[in-house]
Amino acid sequence: MPNSQPILEVHDLHVHFKMLAGIVRAVDGVDFTVERGRCLGIVGESGCGKSVTARSILRLLPSSDTSGQILYHPDGDGQPIDLVGLDAKGDAIRAIRGKDIAMIFQEPMTSLTPVYTIGEQIMESIRQHQNLSEEESQELAISMLNKVGIPDAERRFADYPHQMSGGMRQRVMIAIALCCEPRILIADEPTTALDVTIQAQILRLIRSLQQDLDMSVIMITHDLAVIAQLADFVVVMYLGQMAEKAPVVELFQDPKHPYTQALLRSIVRPDTPPREQLHSISGSVPDPRNAPSGCRFRNRCPSVHDRCVEDPPVVEFGPQHSATCWLYVDD
Amino acid sequence: MSDTPILQVENLSKFFPVQRGLLRRTVGHVKAVNDVSFAVNKGECLGLVGESGCGKTTVARCLLRLVEPDQGRILLHGEQQTFDIASASRKEMLDVRRQMQIIFQDPFSSLDPRWRVTDVIAEPLMAQKVGRGEAGRRVLEILPTVGLGPHFADRFPHELSGGERQRVSIARALIVSPPLVVADEPVSALDVSVRSQIINLLLDLQSQMNLTYVFIAHDLSIVKHISHRIAVMYLGRLVELGTTQQVFEDCKHPYTKALLASVLIPDPTHREQSYVLEGEVPSPLNPPSGCHFSTRCPFAQEQCSAEEPELRDMGGGHWVRCHFAEELDLSEEIFAPQFDTPTASN
Repeated sequence: MPNSQPILEVHDLHVHFKMLAGIVRAVDGVDFTVERGRCLGIVGESGCGKSVTARSILRLLPSSDTSGQILYHPDGDGQPIDLVGLDAKGDAIRAIRGKDIAMIFQEPMTSLTPVYTIGEQIMESIRQHQNLSEEESQELAISMLNKVGIPDAERRFADYPHQMSGGMRQRVMIAIALCCEPRILIADEPTTALDVTIQAQILRLIRSLQQDLDMSVIMITHDLAVIAQLADFVVVMYLGQMAEKAPVVELFQDPKHPYTQALLRSIVRPDTPPREQLHSISGSVPDPRNAPSGCRFRNRCPSVHDRCVEDPPVVEFGPQHSATCWLYVDD
Repeated sequence: MSDTPILQVENLSKFFPVQRGLLRRTVGHVKAVNDVSFAVNKGECLGLVGESGCGKTTVARCLLRLVEPDQGRILLHGEQQTFDIASASRKEMLDVRRQMQIIFQDPFSSLDPRWRVTDVIAEPLMAQKVGRGEAGRRVLEILPTVGLGPHFADRFPHELSGGERQRVSIARALIVSPPLVVADEPVSALDVSVRSQIINLLLDLQSQMNLTYVFIAHDLSIVKHISHRIAVMYLGRLVELGTTQQVFEDCKHPYTKALLASVLIPDPTHREQSYVLEGEVPSPLNPPSGCHFSTRCPFAQEQCSAEEPELRDMGGGHWVRCHFAEELDLSEEIFAPQFDTPTASN
């Protein structure tokens, strides 16, 4: 597995929404690389821009709002494709979307249409991208349902989404995403709506499919435990900015950004003494329309400094570890 | 914390009828809560855990008579008298609600968007026929207790963040100084950085005001942190009840074990502990015969699907509903590794 070829590179991505109330800088300067066969975790709280980042990779957002580069490296030595430059409704992105890069959304309740059977919904994706007959695509759809662990797949094939539980629907979403054997799977909070025992099943499924298909995964979540269990490399976001990025073990053992440090201290761990006060971050995430200038975390940061009103620099701590913070810059 | 119970739940059941067809005939019952008994001692926090559909929220709602229990008694030992909530009259319920309040899960839907914060918090006082002036004064008194400034009194819920709204919900519950508070998933709708603030606040308030909590949550690490004792539910049944230490370190029910093992550890160097329970929670309309967990239990034997186990005392206040609670070896080795551990170099 350890071949560190990039499959997706995001450079200086900005997504600014022009609203009546002003410009919302939902994503402001994000850089990361997804390696072949690896899992990149993007972690952050509500409004940090993690879902917007994911949607901009698939060009599900208006072109006028997006700037920067998203380079997709197809197999072999072919030229990388800049997804930002593609027409969001054009054939080029439609050939990639769902085929090379697929996505699982958070809400398995609302992302399946209630008026088609799950079989039809899986076959739609197959017939869009693969030149297969009706029977062949049905066969493939059923084998996908088996693969994602839906018991009695031939019969469930004709079920409508409302006849299935949340965990089963999320498996159907994964089957739709994986039926064309994508190179990259984007999973946007795939287990947030599910129970803990089902969460463990779904995460194990994503992990084993990732290994079987040598697929890259972008795992988007607010849950640091999911990141700790699945990701190889982590990007921490706060209000549209990238706070820190690092390999997973380094991030958990030696976090550099005050936000990452505070976040890791505030979660309950198995060895946290019971009923003791938890470390907490003061205040709450501001409305993205009123985000502070400079470092956006500065009004909650325990190490805030006069310099923080200016945009913080990216400080490197190793070949893959960096934090966007003034703390490590000498005057 | 004392050993005197403030709340005793005895054989509580709630069956929701399922109606089908043109004539709305009752074709069956969802046994949402089935013969559940437990007691909550003064000053303690009892955690109630289980997956969705296990009946934990229905228990909470029965405790406050927000749904009518079908069977059983709910005894609230108040300062002056004891109430049976399950059969209390409207007038008695007014007294009960002065002694017991609830905090709901979703601070975005549990506050009326057209009411100012002060009116939201004062509503329980209005129900208790406290005068407007007095109520306004008490609202201003309680705001700093939940960490809000006096300027919040005139705001509307849409002006507040999730954490601030949940603080308002807590103030609304505490305004009548109830000794007992039922908290139904009070932090699961909040951001990670705000969650620990609210947990700290709940812990603070408990020691300051000598509160008793029934704390319902699906996040086991939070329940472990805040609870003295834990009750585990599965398909309407209580399957295990014990102190936090008994449940977390020496659990006797395979379902509890599976639930604990599916908690993800926030440490990338410990990826081997998770165990994945197969299958899903069966439909509560038609639960499996015998032990409800027998269809998913890795240790199930013939007896398990034939007869339903009783909730049995294992000693030291540790209750377990399993035929083989004494014999099972629920140590770590039997649970398969789930995720491979990364090396520090990757």
